[in-house]
Amino acid sequence: MIVAERKTIPELIEILQGHKKVLVLGCGTCVTVCLAGGEREVSIISSALRIASRLAGSSLEIEELTIERQCDNVFIEKAAEAIQRNDAVLSLGCGAGVQAIAERYPEKPVYAGLNTAFLGILEERGVWTEKCIACGACVLHEYGGICPITRCAKHMLNGPCGGSREDRCEVMPDRPCAWQLIYRRLKGIGQLDRLKEIRPPKNWNTSIHGGLRVIVREDHRI
Amino acid sequence: MDNRPLKIYLFFCSNSFDTDTARRYCAEQEGEELKAISLPCSGKVDLLYLIKAFETGADGVMVITCKQDACRYLEGNLRAARRVEAVDSLLEEIGLGRGRIKVIKPQEEGDVEHIIREVENFRAKISSLARSNSQ
Repeated sequence: MIVAERKTIPELIEILQGHKKVLVLGCGTCVTVCLAGGEREVSIISSALRIASRLAGSSLEIEELTIERQCDNVFIEKAAEAIQRNDAVLSLGCGAGVQAIAERYPEKPVYAGLNTAFLGILEERGVWTEKCIACGACVLHEYGGICPITRCAKHMLNGPCGGSREDRCEVMPDRPCAWQLIYRRLKGIGQLDRLKEIRPPKNWNTSIHGGLRVIVREDHRI
Repeated sequence: MDNRPLKIYLFFCSNSFDTDTARRYCAEQEGEELKAISLPCSGKVDLLYLIKAFETGADGVMVITCKQDACRYLEGNLRAARRVEAVDSLLEEIGLGRGRIKVIKPQEEGDVEHIIREVENFRAKISSLARSNSQ
């Protein structure tokens, strides 16, 4: 899922400066699961903004709404009336959600209330970790399902670097060495031979470094 | 000068106190509005309940939990403490400053004296702070 965290209240106040009526719009998918932008967080952030606005002596009116998915026009339609009756939208969706709303309503200021952080999983209660950088050319099959690009601090395709201590990464000692994990995993599934292959440098054209990425499925276009 | 009554919300674990006990020991004082809210466990208290209390005019919020290691649901009182800390930090971001929300925990089972003392100290502290919804 996409993992995000909210911007601070002073940041949000500054972003919303000059607006009188704002719609705080949540998203019921990834950011709900990572406790950043679901219905509950919409209420908490709206309350915080109302208190901050009262303290500042301003009269910011806030409406709350959460739709199933902000990155999908079918669901955005359900927010149409609320978006129209407010001066601006503070989206608690991920970066894709914010832009989807902004594209759909070119006349309406749409602001990001969250910082979209990474693609990750819930590791344990209250802890999310990054698992994928969406490089566009997945190599997980070669590394036992553990991504060396995301999880190794040095992004090494031919590891380990030799600097790990007690299974921990030398760059970030609070995290496990990805190459230790890869070795254990490949050993466990009987594929240690994969480590004998030298991997060539990765082609990063499929990642963001190659520019805006688009996937086209012709079989779905008619 | 803001002359409206001081507004204090009291969330409490109903396994440690019943509403009558909470009201008797933490009775409303002159110039004060006290709202007591019973919870099935202090761990039921959520960031949303606490921030809504401040949005609806609370100047201070107390959360009375059961004694350490005595939670009927094992870790409810620990969760309550974490949530109170999160709201304290959020209030600081908002501009209300820290210290308007507090966990009160008995030292011993049925240690009402300690609770009353802590409640009184908290009231005194909140009285000395500016009203939370003053403009």
